Amino acid sequence: MTTLPFLLLILAVIVGYVLNRVAAKTIRDGGNRLHSMTSYHGMFSALLILVPVLTFILLWLVLRGPVIDGMVMGGLPDGVLVDLDSGGVQLVLAEIKSVSRGQVFGTPEDWKIAAADRFVILHQRADWLLIAAVAAISLLLMGFARSRVTADFRARQGVEGIVSGLMIFCSTVAIFTTIGIIVSLTYETFRFLEAVPLTDFLFGVNWEPQIPLREDQIAAEGAFGWLPVFLGTIVITVVALVVAVPIGLFSAIYLNEFAPRKLRSVVKPVLEILAGVPTVVYGFFAILVVAPAIRSLGQSIGLDVAPNTALAAGGVMGIMLIPFISSFADDALSAVPQTLRDGALGLGATRGEMMTTVLFPAALPGIVGGVLLAVSRAIGETMIVVMAAGLIAKLTINPLDSVTTVTVQIVTLLIGDTSFDNPKTLAAFALGMMLFLVTLMINIFALRIVRKYREAYD
Amino acid sequence: MNDMRQFERDVKMTNTKITARSVNVHYGDTHAIKDVDVDIADKTVTAFIGPSGCGKSTFLRCLNRMNDTIDICRVTGLINLDGKDINHKSVDPVQLRAQVGMVFQKPNPFPKSIYDNIAYGPRIHGLARSKADLDVIVEKSLRRGAIWEEVKDRLDQPGTGLSGGQQQRLCIARAVATEPEVLLMDEPCSALDPIATAQVEELIDELRQEYSVVIVTHSMQQAARVSQKTAFFHLGHLVEFNDTDQIFTNPQDSRTESYITGKIG
Repeated sequence: MTTLPFLLLILAVIVGYVLNRVAAKTIRDGGNRLHSMTSYHGMFSALLILVPVLTFILLWLVLRGPVIDGMVMGGLPDGVLVDLDSGGVQLVLAEIKSVSRGQVFGTPEDWKIAAADRFVILHQRADWLLIAAVAAISLLLMGFARSRVTADFRARQGVEGIVSGLMIFCSTVAIFTTIGIIVSLTYETFRFLEAVPLTDFLFGVNWEPQIPLREDQIAAEGAFGWLPVFLGTIVITVVALVVAVPIGLFSAIYLNEFAPRKLRSVVKPVLEILAGVPTVVYGFFAILVVAPAIRSLGQSIGLDVAPNTALAAGGVMGIMLIPFISSFADDALSAVPQTLRDGALGLGATRGEMMTTVLFPAALPGIVGGVLLAVSRAIGETMIVVMAAGLIAKLTINPLDSVTTVTVQIVTLLIGDTSFDNPKTLAAFALGMMLFLVTLMINIFALRIVRKYREAYD
Repeated sequence: MNDMRQFERDVKMTNTKITARSVNVHYGDTHAIKDVDVDIADKTVTAFIGPSGCGKSTFLRCLNRMNDTIDICRVTGLINLDGKDINHKSVDPVQLRAQVGMVFQKPNPFPKSIYDNIAYGPRIHGLARSKADLDVIVEKSLRRGAIWEEVKDRLDQPGTGLSGGQQQRLCIARAVATEPEVLLMDEPCSALDPIATAQVEELIDELRQEYSVVIVTHSMQQAARVSQKTAFFHLGHLVEFNDTDQIFTNPQDSRTESYITGKIG
């Protein structure tokens, strides 16, 4: 039944398009000059019907469920819900719904069967009402659009207006989503800060997110200092960047300027495959190959290496980040005009000198953009570190030690049976908030740097 | 054969800087330059004229081996600079380009300060022993580029912020700063307005005192104004090479005559 309104809408859109187009064509064939092309007249009608009716159908479908539920529950005989709490009311509603689908368990009371019938009838009525409403609104809009077709009517501007409205909507979706995320994070963070003082969280050097299950439990006093966790993130990010930035940059420079065309056409796609490998696979690689290798190598030269090292997780993460940096840097270098290359070569610069003194400074903003994206990815990367880094928060910068990261802690705090009203769980949101703020600050900072030192070539 | 006799007479008259013999250039399957012989004299402005796509820029780029930077380009034949084969494997194209400077069609200042633009060549070739040395070179080059007065108070500002004509003179000054012996100019005025063009032409005439200048131009008036020798290229052939006066007043080849009177091109 829900497909019928959509079919109706499509039909109305097509009819509206044809109707207006034909009408406009008739005017044109009558010897009048049209302001807009006939197809714009058609598009105007089609969009004028499509956008509002589609919005109406979607809203109707979203609101139908709750409204009918409310009507069914409101129509129950007096007194049957008196003793029930909100959970009990929900159970009654669920039972009525399953009865209405014909799934009857035991013998339901008569009033429940009556309510189920009512539920079914209301749904059918709602469907018919929707179809009628869609038909009516479509016809109304079609008539309105048809009435606007004149030689002078600016259908093109009308279409452009509607389309640009749609584009504005699409571009603000991301903004509103971001705002929504920030609001929910902030709300939960404040709830966390009611239980744990802000100073303990920001400056504490212990991270032991336990809470007592009973009042008199011993040795379960939790500590929520985020510093060791954040330090772990920094250590792993730094290791990852130390691997990724030089390799990525040099491979981009080589591919862009020195590699033969054939080699470039092979290596570049392969590098891009690297970007498509799921992070969980990198996690395997880190835990099964890299970590044991680092451990045995370290032990053979007498170093104390933990089984889960920041070096393994960070190093593999660095491999993951290579394609980001190299493809950004490659794009930025390719965008530098050929005239600048010729200029440098024509003055007797070697390719290397041209690269370091002209291309690289000119491409710097794009390169920094790639590195920045890599930093954000490294800070936010979860799967590799969950698998390959440790779980215990230690205040250390030794990459051979086991560290934990903010994202790992968020995951461990939120998986399993958790209640969302104790500081242990809420701590995850506080960590998420801090992660968000840190990446935001890095972005702002780096943008300022780029703006200051960029060498614009246009 | 008539042309060959012409060359021999020229060689006796002035010092020859560059000698080219049966130069052929292929771009992939395209035969862009066909058997070109030419002698370019020292302390002279030589103009290459011809319709678009006739190969004059390609030939110019052979003279400092800029065509090496294009993968599909293949150059054969002999090009001697001061009697030495520039395509010989013992010649480093990087050093050659310091000797044979180039100015391009579109002004291409580096996105650096005016000072750093000029100092670029001297720095990579180690021409200055101290900062003071470099300052002297920069000032001298900017003066030779006839742009010193306009930029002397803002040497630390980006070269890309100058006007088109200023940018082109900056690029000429930049090329001059490496102390080349030959200056190649690939349509240096095509992106400039008439006033800037006049300034650049005046500059070219001054540069003739010290350098051998080769200029590719679309404008026959410009060739007539600035050059002493003119070469007319057509479809990859060097059709005629002679004193500029001769080319414009008494062309030997019918194709040259058609071109300068506007019938082909």
